[in-house]
Amino acid sequence: MCCSHELTGREFQPITTSSSYMERIKGMRFFDPHVHMTSRTTDDYQAMADAGVVAIIEPAFWLGQPRTGVDTFRDYFNSLIGWERFRSSQFGIKHYCTIGLNSKEANNERLAEAVMEILPSFLYKEGVVGVGEIGFDDQTPAEEKYYRAQLELAKEAGLPVQIHTPHRDKKKGTQRSMDIALEHGLDPKMIIVDHNNEETVKEVLDRGFWAAFTIYPFTKMGNERMVEIVKQYGSERIMVNSAADWGISDPLAVPKTAALMHESGIDLNDIHLVTFRNAIAAFAQSGQIEEADFDTVKDVDQSLKFNGSTVLRGGQQPRVDKQSNIIR
Amino acid sequence: MEQAYYHDRNKTEALLFDIIRQNSTEKALGWLQEQKEKLGDPVNVQRFNLTFSAIPRFAGRQVIQTEQPLIQLAEGITLFIHGYTLDRLVRLWWLLHLPATDRSLYVKVIEGLFDAADMNELAALYSALPLLAWPDAWIFRTTEGIRSNIGPVQEAVMLHNVYPARHLEEPAWNQLVMKAFFTDKPIHLIAGLDERANSQLAAILTDYAHERWAAGRKVHPLLWRLVGPFITEENFADIQRVWHSEVNTDREAAALACASSTYAPARELLEQSATLKEEIAGQKVTWETIAARIA
Repeated sequence: MCCSHELTGREFQPITTSSSYMERIKGMRFFDPHVHMTSRTTDDYQAMADAGVVAIIEPAFWLGQPRTGVDTFRDYFNSLIGWERFRSSQFGIKHYCTIGLNSKEANNERLAEAVMEILPSFLYKEGVVGVGEIGFDDQTPAEEKYYRAQLELAKEAGLPVQIHTPHRDKKKGTQRSMDIALEHGLDPKMIIVDHNNEETVKEVLDRGFWAAFTIYPFTKMGNERMVEIVKQYGSERIMVNSAADWGISDPLAVPKTAALMHESGIDLNDIHLVTFRNAIAAFAQSGQIEEADFDTVKDVDQSLKFNGSTVLRGGQQPRVDKQSNIIR
Repeated sequence: MEQAYYHDRNKTEALLFDIIRQNSTEKALGWLQEQKEKLGDPVNVQRFNLTFSAIPRFAGRQVIQTEQPLIQLAEGITLFIHGYTLDRLVRLWWLLHLPATDRSLYVKVIEGLFDAADMNELAALYSALPLLAWPDAWIFRTTEGIRSNIGPVQEAVMLHNVYPARHLEEPAWNQLVMKAFFTDKPIHLIAGLDERANSQLAAILTDYAHERWAAGRKVHPLLWRLVGPFITEENFADIQRVWHSEVNTDREAAALACASSTYAPARELLEQSATLKEEIAGQKVTWETIAARIA
């Protein structure tokens, strides 16, 4: 648009979000079981709340560059059960998390050992609904070692496991992740296999695991493909998430996918299952999800403080009304 | 006693400094000389680290002008420097000033640089892998570089760098190549690509191609370069599929893959196109021509 034609007044209009999809999902409630809010802004929280996201799970993950000491892991885990949970509540969204040593950093064994020492105590904190995201990246022996060790921790704590399947050599990586989990005596119904695609979904479902799909542009699933998956495989044990993080991703992926499913004629109950109910059923096995809390957290008071900090900065007015779509 | 350097450190240093000298101002050269003097004996590690970080401020960041795209380190082992900025080249040179006799101290200091590095420092450090002392000490670090999400850092490890092909074991090597495909790197610039091709990698790549097809996405034609020598009954259908593609570069890739195969049906497939067979024989179609066309 830069130089090929005259600019008109139209180019200078503010970009407005298409409200057509918002109409499609009016009144629906969504649960995004995989979203890295630490990497997102308050605008995202507001947009998610406006689109009907009532609760989320934030898995512990890799922050985009390797950590060099155990203390930064400790602070990160603490932020997931502390500041981030509070920040989320300020937008009326119930925040849960899963705690784990991610596969990439499992390769730094010196550090991984130290992380494994502090990890167990975090697994028993309130609102921790699973061990995650763990599994394979490179599929190295070190990754396998810490994956196995964390499966044992999950088993002992009776927690669901959120498995990250690798980008590369995905099919084998997914199979291997499931094989190992079974080898450790875990029940497939306690395991959510994430980042599925057309090539992996059948086996995951056939073997009795939960199949999660990440709607993430370019590298993972697109939501048109997701619609086809649900048409083909139905809604049993399938769930959708955004995995929004520091990359080009979309924290509204779950509501947008619901809207597209609706537009494509998928049954409302199936939409409800894959964008809300199934994720709750899977992670509530932790005993840590109380659906009534989704409503209590709606009583937003942004003037509350966490350790003396608030999400409000100099002179800002708290936003309390969640019904309005107008930003002033 | 084991040698710290496999290459002639003094010769390498002289070669690098020649190019630095041709590209530097008097002032910058004066600063470098001063840094060498301040480094002291025994070497002051803090000074070594400080200089490493400060180099762009005093040496300059312009792209170097040089006739030679690479420096010969040893028989068949090169250090690529084409298109480098002066600060990057100076950093490579500076790394040679850390005494290497005490292996554990040397490794500790270099690892310390990696741990505290910014993006450009990381790129310099990873591209320096072929000239660092104690070559077998950097294998884990190399795999960390492959895990990086930062484009210039990935490129420093993956492209024109002879270290990975010489030192990584097969799984780590395969990860490098896969990640290069995954992050849209110019695959043909990976050093040792054909030498390190292996059947496991071919299997991983064909799975990856299936995944891309299932998602309605394009498959990189150079992928078949690494499958070619390992065509079997199992993956031959994939080669046939690419052979029948509507895209020229895909068909050429399938033909080149067949040409590098000993699997009889693949050889027969190639016979079906006299044109492609001839173009390949006459070097009119090569992996390089495909790489150039898709760039």
